[in-house]
Amino acid sequence: MSLLEVDGIETYYGESHILEGVSLSVERGEVVALMGRNGVGKTTTLRSVLQLTPPRSGTVRYDGTDLAGLRTHEVADMGVGWIPEDRRIFSQLTVEENLRVSVPDGSDVADALSVAFETFPILDERRDQPAGTLSGGQQQMLALGRGLVGDNDLLLVDEPSEGLAPQIVADVAEALAATASETTMLLVEQNLPLALDLADRFYVLDNGRVVDDGDADAVSADDERLRRYLSA
Amino acid sequence: MIPVDSLSVALLQTGFVDGLLDFLQPDVLAGVVVRGLAKSAIYIMIAAGLTLIFGLLGVLNFAHGALTMIGAYLGGLVMVLTVANGTGPWTRLALFFVAMTVVFGLLAALGGSIELSLIRPLYDRPPIYQILLTFGLTLVLEELVRIVVQFYGLQPIAKWQQALGTIPVFLETTQSLGPLSVRGLVFFEILLGALSVAGIWGFLTRTRYGLFIRAGSEDSEMAEALGIDVRRVFTVVFALGAGIAGIAGTLLMWDQVWGASVPLAADTLLPAFVVVIIGGLGTFRGTVVGGLVVGLVDATTTWWFQNVVVTWTWLPEVAIFLILVVALIVRPQGIYGVEEVGGH
Repeated sequence: MSLLEVDGIETYYGESHILEGVSLSVERGEVVALMGRNGVGKTTTLRSVLQLTPPRSGTVRYDGTDLAGLRTHEVADMGVGWIPEDRRIFSQLTVEENLRVSVPDGSDVADALSVAFETFPILDERRDQPAGTLSGGQQQMLALGRGLVGDNDLLLVDEPSEGLAPQIVADVAEALAATASETTMLLVEQNLPLALDLADRFYVLDNGRVVDDGDADAVSADDERLRRYLSA
Repeated sequence: MIPVDSLSVALLQTGFVDGLLDFLQPDVLAGVVVRGLAKSAIYIMIAAGLTLIFGLLGVLNFAHGALTMIGAYLGGLVMVLTVANGTGPWTRLALFFVAMTVVFGLLAALGGSIELSLIRPLYDRPPIYQILLTFGLTLVLEELVRIVVQFYGLQPIAKWQQALGTIPVFLETTQSLGPLSVRGLVFFEILLGALSVAGIWGFLTRTRYGLFIRAGSEDSEMAEALGIDVRRVFTVVFALGAGIAGIAGTLLMWDQVWGASVPLAADTLLPAFVVVIIGGLGTFRGTVVGGLVVGLVDATTTWWFQNVVVTWTWLPEVAIFLILVVALIVRPQGIYGVEEVGGH
């Protein structure tokens, strides 16, 4: 049984039909890349899984449970973490408070925080600093750290390298690799070399539909097979 | 050309200089500051719930003043029922805290029910729906209180004298502290205001629920995706905000300037809005600073109008709204405000 199984979902924003029957699966321990141009429905796919934008039809199953009708916090409590586009850290809270928000009820806070601090030591150094004062790369580490302390089995990571300087992207790639070694990941990323380097498998979305999928080892960033769907 | 009456100008100037010299006397200045702090305490308490609710829910609760007014009547009711002529001053003070706790509980329950039944279905609609709803709620609550109050033979417009009469003698009379001589209630208001600020501040910064509220105030969708039941936090915060309004009302029930009456709803709502707009909508820190600014300016202008310019008690209220106008022109988002809060 796949950890995440998305089957034929149709998702709308108001009257706009965004996802037109998207199906994909993520096995436990895998990193799966979801690729495609801007506006093809990658972020909406992640939002549909989280029930932030619930699909009108089709099913999303997590660990065998149909998520239809569940509230987003209930999906999160089941172990699904979200590292959204532009990170959405709580800028007025300290680094440590940002991490504390994610610690599940009943977990040992110190233990949970140590997972993030060991993976990203810079967060430990800046733990009392307001998160809004961190650099872009550090904010991305905080967003990933938030996913780690949440004791999640699946992380939905959206465009982690977007808007970051090239030398910072290398740091983020390292942070993603460190995170991926701890958890299963569905990764939306337009930086092809970064995505293919991390991923075991990939899906390509175009106009709200899955148009290609396969093993990440079988393709390279230069392949015409990917380029035709990804170049502007 | 209008001839300048040089004698009047000279007299006015002398009056101003004399007034300034009087104002700067240590005992006068200390008196103004202490009265200002008491006013600040009241302003902060009536505005705190309003700002907490707006910060998290993005709802401008126009019924906040009505909740404060109900708090004043309920607090007064507990006091009138429990205090007899022979009740000692310390027992009266203890009973006040009982009344405060009871009113906090009742108003929190009322606030929670209002959020669950009336506000919740409107979150996905434009803000005008919530404004119209809470404004309508104010009218309904005011009329209900008016009916109940009149039924028991009380005059809804006048202050409830029986409740005012339950105040302990040491708060009613003038107390001296060094060169200062002010009513005991002034010190009590400062104390209760300080305790409320410390309590709310501690709750927001030292508890897990407070952390959820601060996170949710910044980005409620993200907080939900991190496993926080944001809807439940909304209900709790609305209940808390209403409860704090009730505590403020209980305190006002003892104050000669305010007192329990139906118009208290509008009388408290306006300054509360001024305070939260000056401080920055949705930030508690801003409300504390905004309340201090408004309270101190109010006390200062009150002294000037009463002692130097003209004896007319309504004039200082104009000053409060002048600060609001200046604040809106100079810094429309408020002292600690951000451009956008309460998104969901």
